[in-house]
Amino acid sequence: MDDKINRRRLLKYAGVAGAAGATGCIGPLSNGGNETGDVPSIGGFIGSGPGSDRPAPEGTSVDDMPDLEGTLTVYSGRGQPLVGDLFAFLESTYDGFEIEPVYGGSADLANQINVEGSNSPADVFYTVNVGALGSLAEAGRTVPLPDGVLELVRDEFRDPDGEWVGTSGRARTIPYNTEEFDESDVPDDIFAFPDDDRFDGAMGWAPTYGSFQDFVTAMRILNGEEETRAWLEGMVESGVSEYPNEQVIASAVGDGEIVAGFANHYYIQRILSGNPGASLGTAFTDGDAGSLFNVAGATVMDTASDEELAANFVRHLLSAEAQEYFAVRTGEYPLIPGVNPLGNLPTIDQLNPPDLDLTRLSDIEPTLELMRDVGIL
Amino acid sequence: MQETGRLSSRLPTAASIAVVLLVLFPLYWVIRRAVAVEGATELLLRAENLRVFGNTVLLVGVVTVASIVISVPLAYVTTFTDIPFRRLLTVLVALPLVIPSYIGAFGFVTAFGPRGELQSVLEPYGVESLPEIYGLTGAALVITLYTYPYVFITTRAALRSVNPSVVEAARTLNSKRGSVFRRVVLPQVKPAVGAGSLLVALYALSDFGTPAIMRFDVYTRVIYVNYNTWSPDSAALLSLQLVALAAVVLVAETALRGRTESRGSGVSGGGESVVELGSWKTPAVGACLVPPLLALAVPVGVLFLWLIRGEASYASGGGFSAGIVSNSVYVAGLAAFAAAVAAIPIAYTSARGGRIGRLAEKAVYFGYALPGVVLGLALVFFGSPTPLYQTVPLLVFGYLVRFLPESVGVTRASFVQFDERLAEASRTLGGSARKTFLRVMLPLVTPGIIAGAALVFLTTMKELPVTLFLRPAGFETLVTQVWSAYEEGFFGQAAVPALILVGISGLSMLVILSMEKYEVG
Repeated sequence: MDDKINRRRLLKYAGVAGAAGATGCIGPLSNGGNETGDVPSIGGFIGSGPGSDRPAPEGTSVDDMPDLEGTLTVYSGRGQPLVGDLFAFLESTYDGFEIEPVYGGSADLANQINVEGSNSPADVFYTVNVGALGSLAEAGRTVPLPDGVLELVRDEFRDPDGEWVGTSGRARTIPYNTEEFDESDVPDDIFAFPDDDRFDGAMGWAPTYGSFQDFVTAMRILNGEEETRAWLEGMVESGVSEYPNEQVIASAVGDGEIVAGFANHYYIQRILSGNPGASLGTAFTDGDAGSLFNVAGATVMDTASDEELAANFVRHLLSAEAQEYFAVRTGEYPLIPGVNPLGNLPTIDQLNPPDLDLTRLSDIEPTLELMRDVGIL
Repeated sequence: MQETGRLSSRLPTAASIAVVLLVLFPLYWVIRRAVAVEGATELLLRAENLRVFGNTVLLVGVVTVASIVISVPLAYVTTFTDIPFRRLLTVLVALPLVIPSYIGAFGFVTAFGPRGELQSVLEPYGVESLPEIYGLTGAALVITLYTYPYVFITTRAALRSVNPSVVEAARTLNSKRGSVFRRVVLPQVKPAVGAGSLLVALYALSDFGTPAIMRFDVYTRVIYVNYNTWSPDSAALLSLQLVALAAVVLVAETALRGRTESRGSGVSGGGESVVELGSWKTPAVGACLVPPLLALAVPVGVLFLWLIRGEASYASGGGFSAGIVSNSVYVAGLAAFAAAVAAIPIAYTSARGGRIGRLAEKAVYFGYALPGVVLGLALVFFGSPTPLYQTVPLLVFGYLVRFLPESVGVTRASFVQFDERLAEASRTLGGSARKTFLRVMLPLVTPGIIAGAALVFLTTMKELPVTLFLRPAGFETLVTQVWSAYEEGFFGQAAVPALILVGISGLSMLVILSMEKYEVG
């Protein structure tokens, strides 16, 4: 029942995404197939580009979720280019439902909610920064989500106290050049890279990039500062090249400029969506910082004027349609079973991320000090 | 009862005090939060903080000196010499101000950073790496390139009011050009150089984005760290220290400015070239071209690169609509108007030299010296309990607090130029104080007021932090669009609004410069 998707709704959703494509508002991965825009069809959205040949998403359809009605102020640390179309889709699904988005930096918004205190207009806070969710929860500014929402995702991807829930994810990966290696040739232990001659002078990293710093923070928490320092220094000695961001790393690996690198999973998919024949593969390490899986998540604020509506909005972020949107349009990992990530990526259940309280990743300052000390920042 | 000639000072003084109190009250929140911090002294005296403090002073010093070194000669060359393409060059030299410094910083890092655009162009020729852009070099370079026009604009306006016949006379008595400049021209423009430098120095002090992008450890970065770990109290305490530093800068500027100010002489100056460049023409044109070309070509080039290359899927200018442009113009226009009106009493009283006037003029700089995020949060604090919260009026008020000193500075200059004898004449002929102000003074100072408003318009267009905190829900502007597209890595989408932003701001720069020719000499 729950995993039966309602065809009418999916058609409508596909139409929304297709129309958005036709007006030029195209996500990173969609090639925006539906040129006419006025004929909603699954093919118009899903049938082209990287979404081709995707099975219909399973999970709970928006149709089987409680209706949304009223106005909701969403403080969103995720920008309009990423989630604007999703919000528009939800608004168009229900008459009498309206989202008032306040877009901003995640830390900015958390501070803003703090300072606003009991006067905050925020009903929902939505962000890629789990630390920001944790800090508001700790300050007693959030209300727990209903079990029915929390249980949609695995334990690791939600707050143990139920104050926030993950809605989509990003995996740390090793992009590698498929002409140089088979996937099985790539070490599944992050600590193997510095001493492996095959990677000497042929890897790339982006120390200034936030997700890379999160990865170093995770290593620091999991393995301690000394081991992390040794790993960083080992990589420097092995002649790793510095890149300005991870998009460029994925591209350089595909071009054979380097043989492997460190990047979020979706950068590889972005390159492959533009050039499906690129010699670029995705490898994962096993249960260490190298396979860190971080999430974007949402929480209901204690100032929400209608807590039930707010919680149901969060529930909608975990609907089959929204999860499909994250997979295809933002290139992220869906968090519910039954919606596949892009391409040949393993499903969420096949990943083995390290066991780590994600809110601890906001302890970034010691990481930056360490990286500066090693001389890479 | 005010007797003879002089215009009444009671009303403008009261209005000045009111404006100052209004724009200073957000500081109250900063002080309150700062006082709440436990172990404040230890926090301030940590060795790390002292080092960072030193870096800050260094950055402010380098940027200020570099801006003066670039601007004063260029202002001189474009006013007092027979340089060709004078108008075009003037506009070009002033134009970098329209580019938000964070876009400039991104541009420079993209171009000159490791594996950046420039290096990939040069790689086939064996260039393995470029000189390091990060650190003091990059931070100082970028902030200087995008703020030196403050000094250029103010200095130029002052140079144009220097009577050329005085310079001519000095030249006949002493043929050395440098000496004429130093002994005759410089003293007359010192206050203007000081006013522009003040804007540059305080900008360098409070800029959040550029040092972060350039990885230079300054004071705002420490604030940023505290802020990102959700300790707004410590951030407030540290901001207060920034305010104290700003006070030091203000005092220093007052001391350097000196007591003498050239009052209105009634003689129209500027415009006539008195120095023939001869064989120096080409080098002079070159000198005028280098700073703006560097400042404009790098980020605009990178923006176009993003736009053209635009990884097929995200170069479509998505999420962009005409409404965003009109939102930007609308709020910037309101801010410019508010700043113009609020500046008049302060410019008037301070130009007349009273103590209250001088204090008021300095006091408005504190809002400008406060990092935008801190000011934004202060207004969130005061605004959120009221119905004004997340409405346009509060947003415009935020802009007023941030940018009032810009309009005060420019407007004040035109009041200083005003010849008091004209007012006396009007009063002698029986005009009331009000009439004299409206009919005699106001028309003569209007160009200054408009130029000041245009400057506020231009800076408001590119303002980010206050906009993010205080805009109404769902209200997006060009900068918020550039910011969110960039943040999410959709560079192609950032390019279109960024280029429109630069285009519109460029137009307001033309307004500022065209007002010069009406400047009362």
